[in-house]
Amino acid sequence: MTAPRVEKAVVPPDHLPIWDDPHQALYSQVTIELDKCDGCRLCAVVCPANILEMYGPKDNLKVRLKADVSGCMSCNNCLAVCVAQGVFATEPYDFVGVYEQKRIGPFEFPRRF
Amino acid sequence: MTDTLDHDIRNDIEALEALECELEATEQVETAHDRTLRRRTAVHDIEPGADWNDVEHAILTRRSIRKYKGRQVPAHMVRRIIEMGRFSPSQGNCQPWSFIVVRDKAMIAQMEAYCAAVCQGMTAGVDYTNYPEGSEQRAAIQANTQALNRDNLNSFHPVPMTAIKSIANGRFAVFHKAPTVILLLVDKRGVGVPDIDIGCVGTNIVLAAQSLGLGTCWVGFSKLLSSNAALCEQLGIAPPFELSEAICVGYPIGNPTQQTISRQTHEIIWWEGGEKQILY
Repeated sequence: MTAPRVEKAVVPPDHLPIWDDPHQALYSQVTIELDKCDGCRLCAVVCPANILEMYGPKDNLKVRLKADVSGCMSCNNCLAVCVAQGVFATEPYDFVGVYEQKRIGPFEFPRRF
Repeated sequence: MTDTLDHDIRNDIEALEALECELEATEQVETAHDRTLRRRTAVHDIEPGADWNDVEHAILTRRSIRKYKGRQVPAHMVRRIIEMGRFSPSQGNCQPWSFIVVRDKAMIAQMEAYCAAVCQGMTAGVDYTNYPEGSEQRAAIQANTQALNRDNLNSFHPVPMTAIKSIANGRFAVFHKAPTVILLLVDKRGVGVPDIDIGCVGTNIVLAAQSLGLGTCWVGFSKLLSSNAALCEQLGIAPPFELSEAICVGYPIGNPTQQTISRQTHEIIWWEGGEKQILY
């Protein structure tokens, strides 16, 4: 499952990406499966980027992305604590210019060789 | 009937005692063959696709934990994980490390307050998003950040930039309100690149902690403490030792081990039999 990518801007290779510009600093997409979410809050608590929040009535809490913040690093700590596996990040964070990630393949779960 | 039973039991006991004596005798004398077996390196080949062993499991379920329960970690467990760090590899076996364990709430609060104050000071000079787009100030500060980033080897990469902003806003605690903080000091007299050895020590500590059900998190922002001479003196950071990294230790909130997660794959250039292959 791949989230749609934002087209990258062309910037000099020594350029620090403008970290709040979605064309220069692409953060991961967080997928939330609302039917699986039971409102336990754990993902919102453990998120290191602090981008998840709870909403809705007390007896039917659900998680969502905060409107004004971006910064998911696809650490997937949310998935690690979610017993229903209803929240996960897709696509790596990626930065243009000097940070453009090279020699890197897609995200994979632990593989047994 | 009872007599026969007693007799049988007596016989059994005698037979067992005889067997124990025999075993004791054989244990005492180690044959040359036994010694040869002990000398030999064991080869444990595993089948392809075999299950994870305990060490692999600890590696795969380790997460950087940033939310801890209030409960303090028993002192013997902290000693235990540091002991695992002591047995990590180092260049020239110079073991260039030293530890400071901070379990004092007031001291952690003091460290936290100082780091937060530094981040607040930093945002004014580096966070261009505080100023409207297109403004001169924004452009000036952005240029400044880019220059600093080149001098400070990616200290102002977008991820730490987000963290600096969050710390300054009070949304993010530097030491994650952990009950125990281990400061890793590097001995600058170490052979080669002693900071690599600190990485090894920390990895051992973190994995040992993981296997004991503790949560840990590396804290690079702890380096900011180095600029506070008074606090360094109080903590006991003095040359030739330098503060290298900190590791927070505590009991994690939630169970982050119940599900493994995905990580990026990296190119592996595989040379074998005169051929080059690219694997991921």
